[in-house]
Amino acid sequence: MRVIVVGAGEVGYNIADILSKEGNDIIIIDTNEERLKSISESLDVQTITGSGSSPQVLKKAKLSQAEMMVAVTDSDETNIVACLLASAQTTAPFKIARIRNPDLNRDSALFDKAHLNIDLCINPEREAVNDVINLMEYSGASEVIDFAEGNVKLVSFYVDSECRAVGKNLEQIMEIYPDGGGILIASITRGDEPIIPSGRTVIKEKDHLFVFAKSGDVRNMLKFFGKKEEPSERVFIIGGGNTALMLAELLEKRLVGTIKVIEKKQARCEMLASRLDRTICLHGDGTDQDLLKEENIQDADYFIAVTDDEEANILSALLAKQMGAKKTISLVNKAGYNHLIPVLGIDGVMNPRRASIGKILHFIRKGKVISATPLGDEKAEAVEFIALETSDITNRPLKDIDFPKGTIVGAITRNGEIIIPGGDSVILPGDHVILVALRSSIPQIEKILTVKLDYFG
Amino acid sequence: MNTKNILYILGTLVFFLGLTMLLPLSCSLYYGEGDAAAFLYSIAVALCIGALFYFLFKPVNGTIGLTHKEGFLIVATGWFLAALFGAFPYMFHGVLPHFSDAFFESISGFTTTGATVIPNIGDLPHGILLWRSLTQWLGGMGIIILSIAILPLLGVGGMQLYKAELPSPVKDKITPRIAETARTLWIVYIIISIVEFIMLLTGGMDVFNALCHSFTTMATGGFSTGDASIAQFHSAYIDGVITFFMLVAGINFTLHYSLIMGNFRAILSNSELRLYLGIILTAVIIITINLKQNAVYETGGYFRYASFQVVSIITTTGFTTANFDNWPSLSKMILLVLMFVGGSAGSTGGGIKCLRILLILKHSYQELYRLVHPHAVTAVKLGKRIVYPETMASIWGFFLLYLTMTIVASIILTLLGLDMMTAFSSVAATIGNVGPGFGAVNPSATYSEIPCLGKWVLSFCMLAGRLEIYTVIILLIPEFWKK
Repeated sequence: MRVIVVGAGEVGYNIADILSKEGNDIIIIDTNEERLKSISESLDVQTITGSGSSPQVLKKAKLSQAEMMVAVTDSDETNIVACLLASAQTTAPFKIARIRNPDLNRDSALFDKAHLNIDLCINPEREAVNDVINLMEYSGASEVIDFAEGNVKLVSFYVDSECRAVGKNLEQIMEIYPDGGGILIASITRGDEPIIPSGRTVIKEKDHLFVFAKSGDVRNMLKFFGKKEEPSERVFIIGGGNTALMLAELLEKRLVGTIKVIEKKQARCEMLASRLDRTICLHGDGTDQDLLKEENIQDADYFIAVTDDEEANILSALLAKQMGAKKTISLVNKAGYNHLIPVLGIDGVMNPRRASIGKILHFIRKGKVISATPLGDEKAEAVEFIALETSDITNRPLKDIDFPKGTIVGAITRNGEIIIPGGDSVILPGDHVILVALRSSIPQIEKILTVKLDYFG
Repeated sequence: MNTKNILYILGTLVFFLGLTMLLPLSCSLYYGEGDAAAFLYSIAVALCIGALFYFLFKPVNGTIGLTHKEGFLIVATGWFLAALFGAFPYMFHGVLPHFSDAFFESISGFTTTGATVIPNIGDLPHGILLWRSLTQWLGGMGIIILSIAILPLLGVGGMQLYKAELPSPVKDKITPRIAETARTLWIVYIIISIVEFIMLLTGGMDVFNALCHSFTTMATGGFSTGDASIAQFHSAYIDGVITFFMLVAGINFTLHYSLIMGNFRAILSNSELRLYLGIILTAVIIITINLKQNAVYETGGYFRYASFQVVSIITTTGFTTANFDNWPSLSKMILLVLMFVGGSAGSTGGGIKCLRILLILKHSYQELYRLVHPHAVTAVKLGKRIVYPETMASIWGFFLLYLTMTIVASIILTLLGLDMMTAFSSVAATIGNVGPGFGAVNPSATYSEIPCLGKWVLSFCMLAGRLEIYTVIILLIPEFWKK
């Protein structure tokens, strides 16, 4: 498949990386020649210098042969124009655009077939804000991903010393787990490497667990693993950008407590104050200890740092934690920092980049895949798909299916009922199946899911 | 550095090299001139060593990623190994019993230089002759680029190798995938070689000679099957065909690809191509007139000799239809300068390359322009693209290193007792991958009289010239080996 990626930022780079390693032909367009130079050295892709909104540049990228266009520059307008130019082709490719402007996003009818004709609009900040809301709902989790329309959740958290699972293998854990299960440990990230566990895998302290559970069971599950439920009444938000605005708006609807936003620029504060009702807008620096003390940081339930400066987000979260904030969440885009988070003692990460990559991957997976999400350091992926009658995996016990190594079926939903499967479970046609697999085996899984589909046309 | 990956890739390369010797082997079996055993031994050695490294260091899974440094190291060592294993047939057969001679002949083949140490080429068995031509053909488009095209394991790592081998200051991919780009270049190369093969056949050349000469023309190599080089055929048609295909081989192969894809505008608007053709035209005119005025040949045919020789030298092929050492000084001087100019970037030709000359001229003009308009904001442009100062610096660096190497090597050769003209022209002809020079290495003579140490200096020049200096020189600076 020929994919044109417009914009060589973090999102563009990662999408290109994943797709190119899966065997697609990628062309990256960006105006920054230096950036393209470094990309061409680390990825097997073609780079073209120029603007993605220029017809000549897109022609050079052989847009007419492309099957997909992923426009993820920082500029909404460039992304929209690039998609419009793609629509003008005779063989219009799939079009994915990053649209950050919250005002544009509200009016999603603008993007349908009759108007701008963009197949998928992603707003990384909105996706990330949803993640944070999920995190606050399930305190103790470092990441919560929705599957099966939110009925099944993939919850990730770090194992600490209070957890009674430490030193036990999975079989022993399932024995002591109340009600005999209903959860499934799908993946463990230890250090940098993801492990797809078996019954004999032993849990260690500082492991990053990914566990499937029904949405109703998530709280109990977290309690079992030693995560305490915390209130989320008093929230601090550092930074006053679009992310903070979106977050504050959503929190205003959900919370009864106080929300405080700290922003450096006076003008932006005034704008926030005019848009938000209950939120207290403070003019100042998020790392200003006097200001934080004055506003009673010691009573804060959540401290969420969402400025543009990732390092500052991490540092201010640490500072707040030291000053008494109960839970801290930082906006961090750099994948390199991911395994630093548990060491530092930050409770959660908000990652707009990963949120958008997940959304885009979903579109790209062949067959009847409805969702795909990268996990942890992105070496593993959770995939949700609909089992087809013609597929090899239906009507036989899971243990007999020849899945690639490092694949685990995490949940099956059938007519609204959720099954956390064991080795004898059977997938029926029409089931939604959620599985976790190492990225290296994704192409094989795609094959298992689609090979017979192609045969029947 | 990941030694395992490096040894694995080098092992595969050696194994592959062993396989390519099957072609000359079948040729020697067909002609039955007693050189089959030499190839059998060489193949056995290459396959065994190659397979040993291949299986010992085979990576467990996934594609191989390479760093810059590893890329340089693999390419430089890969070429050295190719020349080493390629020398075995000459030694086993006994035509060149001394290792330094056999290695010189082999590296002269792979680097498409065409300088020979064998005095009576016409007496060689067909198998050895074919191997000489085949090494040039493999080296022309590049053995590393060929392995990137064939080896599926080299994903991103392929780019590091590609950049270290491709003879061009601008290293663009023509397709999204590096393996695809390498394959495309090789396919274009093969197609044009086949066309030449057919055209030589129609000119009355026999199959063996047509094959050998197609190999060495497209590679801008210059090995022939007789001592008289192309003059042995006494045919204006063959001179013409070979001139044309040398000209073609000296043009950037991505341009040939554009032409095949029907993009004519890319060719018309290419300023490097215009400079390349311009230099050739000017040189041909001057030399034709110069030859005519001095009445070098009683029978005439000045234009034919001049055009053949100019194209042969500027593309760094080194075929000859006349002993240009006997030409007047002006003609000789022009040919000597052309040895430095070389073909286009991304072609199979050697030398400094027209693109670099073009950019150096543009940059120098820009500096003068700035003296006139001190406040002017200018940029060196190539087509519609700006050439960034870093690229410009790398081109100047190349230019300087190229000249420095020429001077240093020439001094060493004069130290070994060679006369000035022989020393200088043999270095110019080897670092530029041309082949014949002036003085004692004129087209009628060979390099066999050069002292042993001199042969090694020239072998080094050939390798450095083919890999565009940086890839080889970088291994010599201590910083490269620091952990």
